Amino acid sequence: MPMDFDTVLLEPLRVFLRQVGDLLPRLVLAVVVLIVGWIVAKVVRFAIERGLRAVNFNVLTERAGMDGFLRNGGIESDTTGLVALVFYWLVILAALVIGFNSLGLTYITDVLRSVILFLPRVLVAIVILAVGSYFARFIDGAVAAYFRNAQVQDADLLGRIARTAVLAFVILIALDQVQVGGDLIRQTFLIVLAGVVFALALAFGIGGRDWAAELLERWWPRKR
Amino acid sequence: MSSVSTAAPTPASTASPDPGERAATAGAAPAPADDALWYKDAVIYQVHVKAFFDSNNDGIGDFRGLTSKLDYIADLGVSAVWLLPFYPSPLKDDGYDVSDYRGVHPQYGTVGDFKQFVREARKRGLRVITELVVNHTSDQHPWFQAARRAPPGSKKRNWYVWSDTVQKYQGTRIIFTDTETSNWTWDPVAKAYYWHRFFSHQPDLNFDNPNVLKAVLRILRYWADMGVDGFRLDAIPYLCEREGTNNENLPETHAILKQIRAAMDAHYPDRMLLAEANQWPEDVRPYFGDGDECHMAFHFPLMPRMYMAIAQEDRHPVVEIMYQTPDIPETCQWAIFLRNHDELTLEMVTSRERDYMYRMYAADMQARINLGIRRRLAPLMENDPQRIRLMNSLLLSMPGSPILYYGDEIGMGDNIYLGDRNGVRTPMQWTPDRNAGFSRADPQRLYLPPVMDPVYGYEAVNVEAQARDPSSQLNWMKHMLAVRRQSRAFGRGKLTFLRPGNRKILAYIRELGDEAILCVANLSRSAQPVELDLKRFKGRVPVEMLGRTAFPPLGELPYMLTLPAHGFYWFRLATNAQPPEWHLELLLSEETPVLVLFDLWNSFFRDRVVPWRIGMAEKLRARLETELLPGYIGEQRWFSRKGEPVAAAPLEDWVVWERWLFALPRVNGEQYLVPLALAWEETEDERVKRLTALTLARVRQQANVGVLADAIGDETFCRALVRAICGRAEAATAHGRLRFVPTDYCAHFAQEDVEALEVSRLHMHSSNTSVNLTSATQGDRLFLKFYRRVRHGINPESEVGRFLTEVAKFPHCVPLAGCIEYVKEGEEHPATLVLMQAYVPNQGDGWNYTLNYLDRFLEDHRSASIANLEVPGEDVHGGFLTLMTTLATRTGQLHQAFARPTGDPAFDPEPLTEADVRAWKARVKAEAEETYALLASRNFSHIRLPAKATVLAAIDACPAPRGPALRTRHHGDYHLGQVLIANNDFVIIDFEGEPSRPLEDSRRKLSPLRDVAGMLRSFNYAKWSALVRAREADPQQEKLLAELDAWESRTRETFLSAYAAAAEGSGIFQDFDDARGLLALAELEKVLYELRYEANNRPDWIHIPSGGLAGLVAGQGR
Repeated sequence: MPMDFDTVLLEPLRVFLRQVGDLLPRLVLAVVVLIVGWIVAKVVRFAIERGLRAVNFNVLTERAGMDGFLRNGGIESDTTGLVALVFYWLVILAALVIGFNSLGLTYITDVLRSVILFLPRVLVAIVILAVGSYFARFIDGAVAAYFRNAQVQDADLLGRIARTAVLAFVILIALDQVQVGGDLIRQTFLIVLAGVVFALALAFGIGGRDWAAELLERWWPRKR
Repeated sequence: MSSVSTAAPTPASTASPDPGERAATAGAAPAPADDALWYKDAVIYQVHVKAFFDSNNDGIGDFRGLTSKLDYIADLGVSAVWLLPFYPSPLKDDGYDVSDYRGVHPQYGTVGDFKQFVREARKRGLRVITELVVNHTSDQHPWFQAARRAPPGSKKRNWYVWSDTVQKYQGTRIIFTDTETSNWTWDPVAKAYYWHRFFSHQPDLNFDNPNVLKAVLRILRYWADMGVDGFRLDAIPYLCEREGTNNENLPETHAILKQIRAAMDAHYPDRMLLAEANQWPEDVRPYFGDGDECHMAFHFPLMPRMYMAIAQEDRHPVVEIMYQTPDIPETCQWAIFLRNHDELTLEMVTSRERDYMYRMYAADMQARINLGIRRRLAPLMENDPQRIRLMNSLLLSMPGSPILYYGDEIGMGDNIYLGDRNGVRTPMQWTPDRNAGFSRADPQRLYLPPVMDPVYGYEAVNVEAQARDPSSQLNWMKHMLAVRRQSRAFGRGKLTFLRPGNRKILAYIRELGDEAILCVANLSRSAQPVELDLKRFKGRVPVEMLGRTAFPPLGELPYMLTLPAHGFYWFRLATNAQPPEWHLELLLSEETPVLVLFDLWNSFFRDRVVPWRIGMAEKLRARLETELLPGYIGEQRWFSRKGEPVAAAPLEDWVVWERWLFALPRVNGEQYLVPLALAWEETEDERVKRLTALTLARVRQQANVGVLADAIGDETFCRALVRAICGRAEAATAHGRLRFVPTDYCAHFAQEDVEALEVSRLHMHSSNTSVNLTSATQGDRLFLKFYRRVRHGINPESEVGRFLTEVAKFPHCVPLAGCIEYVKEGEEHPATLVLMQAYVPNQGDGWNYTLNYLDRFLEDHRSASIANLEVPGEDVHGGFLTLMTTLATRTGQLHQAFARPTGDPAFDPEPLTEADVRAWKARVKAEAEETYALLASRNFSHIRLPAKATVLAAIDACPAPRGPALRTRHHGDYHLGQVLIANNDFVIIDFEGEPSRPLEDSRRKLSPLRDVAGMLRSFNYAKWSALVRAREADPQQEKLLAELDAWESRTRETFLSAYAAAAEGSGIFQDFDDARGLLALAELEKVLYELRYEANNRPDWIHIPSGGLAGLVAGQGR
């Protein structure tokens, strides 16, 4: 059965070799894409970092306290570095997608693509955090200055409360952006907010009962 | 340590009068004698010939006597002499009853004597004013004798005013109410009544008769031809008579006056007519006409009101009468006076005021006569010197030409029991000898007895005694007149009263062109404060004219002064004088620019702000570099290129250090240190106030307002520096590093000491700025010196300071405590920015001490020479020379310290070889060439300089020492300003070297005799500066230079011999005489340096080194 040998043994080999022959250029192409992607990623990282520093994004994040936060978390680079890193990985991942795509590994490509789609959200979230937390600081200063000028004691405390509130919202928006936690966090936040409002209402209600009564008396005097 | 910097070869930073100031006073010099308006600046001395000096011992003063006393009058400082009538007369009215208009009363001399008097007066620059008594004559006058005998209606009769009845001219008042009952007197010869406004023996001339006027004009020309400069027209309102009027100030009278003036102007353009019209100002005004009647008129109402103001302690009377005084034509002038030969007339006051004046000044009925008080100034003021001076100060500063009555300058008294007004006409009191030194006649022969009471008598009050007493009325009056001469504003200026709330203060401004003089007088018997509104003169510096002391400058706020009882000030409101050195401006000026910051220091740096602020940061930075820093630096004394415009000051390097910004901008090619501070009004008001004088801009950040200022005035900054130096801190700048380097001395400070330090004094010098740091418990502790110009290289001051403190242990210098160094990328050597030294308690530097000493010496000498006292020759300068011996000893010891080998190659002495001397000479010669080239290029042709060849020859002629000599490190810029006096000893400071030479030069080893030469030159500078100051006070002093020359040569000798002794054995020279050549060379080198320095910086001072050079070259030639 020479023919059988042929068909049974050589045909698969031939097919395999043909497949290998088909794959090889694609593999080479994929490797080339990866290398080029890596280089591009390095360039992009450098450019992004320089660009952000040129517009003083680093000053913004430093003032917002994010750099300090990161440093406390053991991360060597600052936020600007982090953003540049995200862009670096974005390009790397894009290169990987192209590479794997050219190899026809669509499943891996799909997985990578979802990662790629996630990264911009992270970027946006970082920017939101940076600007938001700077804003929170600014609100702190403004509120504290306002109350201080109005001769209110605890002006600093009120400022800090305002900052915390703004910061809480900013964090929620950022989390929402990266779609982490979702409903759970949203509901938890609602419960906490409702609790705070209820507590305040109760506090003012009990503490200001007499005052409220007086006010009512003035507005709608009871007929004698 | 009130150190001076090394601005000048001799102490420039402490140098006395601002050259501009001198120029200003020189510009206001008195008018030249030929000025036709001389009477506007005149001070007139009123004198009676019979009362001044008796030359022939007949008991009556005469012209020869007066002429012999002209020196006294000229020395007083007046510019004109007014003679009371000296014509032949029966003397029934003290000469005002003239019986011959063309003669001199035989008692007083002859017309020849008078001519001699006029000649001598002119020789002394004195003008002569005489009396023209033409309203009336004596009844002895030939005109009257002819008239009474001539038939009624005849020509001769018509020279006088006749009437058959006393009913004519009924509306006319009687002036001498005490003696006359009518203006008409019956003449039995003429069988008619004749008209007389004064005594009955003084018939009035009839000016309706043109012949009378013609005769008067002839008389006027007669005296004018003899050289009389001015005529006082006696009783001028009464010339003409008209029925139905009060017969005063009639239009017909003015017509006569116009004719007299026209006749005089036609022949004598620079003569003066002075109207005596005892009238209210509005009635006197017509006597000036439109500048075509009298040149001058007495301001009668002002006089009693000055007395009244002092009596009532209220300025109102004076202010009121001056407001009522009309303006007079440009060429006219008021004549003002305090007292004269008549009674202090009270005609020109209301009857209520008269009662008040009588009660205050003439409680004794005997002192009253007619409508006035017959007393002299001193008794009126109860002999209170302060009140007499106050009255004189008012007189000399009110608008008009003041008239001084003879004797009042020494505070003479009166004798109210002598009858009529003779009590104020007693003999001048010259000496305590017989007849007051006035005459050698028998006392009973005198025309009037001199005043002899114990208070005012001639034994107590006389010229001889007062001339010898530097603080006497006489010397005070001379001083005042000298001061008044400095400015024409006193005579010609516009008068503006200030209206301070305190009514006991009379304050007014006399203004002439740009010149303004502020006069403030306390009319009360107790000390008074006053706040003056002088906004109009904002920025001017009041300079007290008697002592030439600068006061803090005027600003927006009321200017506060305090005056002692009956005290007064005259201030020149100078535009060119320096405010006092210690003055700190505490108010920001309106023009200070405002910067809006958003992030403190970060606001200036584009890469340190949030993204949306980048544009703003760039703009702020540009404003700092092109507006604020250039504006500030350009005005600082330490800016080495003063006068050059500063366009930009880009920050070449900087660091935000703690709360401060160390700015190191580059200005016109040189780098400077400007530490900056921000201070906020809300939280640090004190700090803001302290920084006001050093403010570059106001700043605002949101609701916070504050200032951006030079941090040197900031206490917290100075403390932080001290801490950082002691803590050996470091700070990275944008392009380099700041190093804080302590010495062992820092160990003396505990941390809490540093916290307690306060900035007590700030000094701005020409190359550096320094602050004293004081602790409340321990007094002055530290001294921080900021070198403003960044100069890389080893700083000799810190190097020498270290050597003397730590190696040589020389006790008479200031211990070094540390420094701040700036290491710049690409520079081999660091630059010393700040030096921290221990503070040495002291009484100021040698320069100021010497100048003050010389001022005092000259003042003493002046008063001694007035009294013709011999100044004892030997020990005049004894105390000062002892001090100079100490100075020379310390100098020698310093050089001994430098001459001792220590193993440090930077300091070890080296032998001074022939080659060294040759090289030195070559350098000095090159500098001489350079100096002459510079002077030629700067157009200093007016200064006297020896020929260049002579100078070069003089340099060559300096012999090199024969014996061994050393070249060592030395001070390098040694002068009186570089030594501080402490407890009669000296501390040597400032080892920086001459500031305009490179740092390396001051580290060069040369013969230390250069220091000796520097000190000798400094003595020379002190001499000239003292002379300038003394001449300002009294330009007439001529003998001062000889005295100062003697002082300089004695000081030189003393210094040199003490130095030679102290430096003996150091090896610097074998024996001092051998080193004289080196000393001469060093002196030449120094004086050439001074010439270059003055040419570049203070051209007004160049006469000092140019004279010095001439002296040195000449001295060597001998």
